Amino acid sequence: MQLTTDIYQRIAAAKVFIDQNYHESIDLDRISRQALLSRFHFHRLFTRIYKKTPHQYVTQTRVEAAKLLLAKEGISITEVCSMIGFESLGSFSSLFSKQNGYSPQYYRNIAWLKKKLAKEQPRRFIPHCFIEQYKIDGSPADV
Amino acid sequence: MITRFSHTTLYVLDQEKAYDFYVNKLGFKVNTDATMGNGYRWLTVNPPEQPDLEVVLMAVLHESMVKSDACPDGLDQESRDAFKVLLEKGILGAGVMYTNDCRATYEELKAKGVQFKGEPREQFYGIEAVMFDGCGNWFSVTQPKEM
Repeated sequence: MQLTTDIYQRIAAAKVFIDQNYHESIDLDRISRQALLSRFHFHRLFTRIYKKTPHQYVTQTRVEAAKLLLAKEGISITEVCSMIGFESLGSFSSLFSKQNGYSPQYYRNIAWLKKKLAKEQPRRFIPHCFIEQYKIDGSPADV
Repeated sequence: MITRFSHTTLYVLDQEKAYDFYVNKLGFKVNTDATMGNGYRWLTVNPPEQPDLEVVLMAVLHESMVKSDACPDGLDQESRDAFKVLLEKGILGAGVMYTNDCRATYEELKAKGVQFKGEPREQFYGIEAVMFDGCGNWFSVTQPKEM
């Protein structure tokens, strides 16, 4: 059955709500209210459209936000955990590891190493043809 | 035998604006964000489900790319002017991005302030809406027809 534009707008509004409020304590009641739909109806429609449940989407959004924060310096992993809406460091670490195949600390180590390399040796990340064509690194013509 | 694209370039007027569009609105992931000694910013992003494709958001009018003795293959003034005109008109790009549900993506991105040429329409290959990145490029957002 074809969904109406109104339904699409409601479900999309709820998804945008999750994107903007994932760090808060949001549950299905609160999310479905954004769509002005019952919990059951909303859950069914959201899952049909996005091929994942609202809960799965909230979790995915939090984990992706965690990655951005873990890559930054000056924020502890415990702080990252609370900034993305998790109450327990243990459950955050366990979920993060399950979804990604590595721990938050491991992800942070790799992200920091890449950032360090990008700062100290940016040419390592750029195909040489771009450098040769445009000299975007300011290198002299004969390099 | 060529196997796949690893890098492709999108020319943009404003990298900060492009970052906001592709990362914050579309959900692309930052792959590399490195600034050279001369101030040139090498910024690449991956489409959400294509971690092996780097889209280079290239600030094509940066001064380091101007044709000179140090950069003989750089852009001469005529080419720079042409890029500027085309990007300001928003007529570059012309790529296709796939989505699982065009109508949902349209409503979501519209709610986030993305500009579209019109509402999603049925085509023989699926459902399509045309969006602008606000940085000089346009794309088809397509939900391919299930075979």
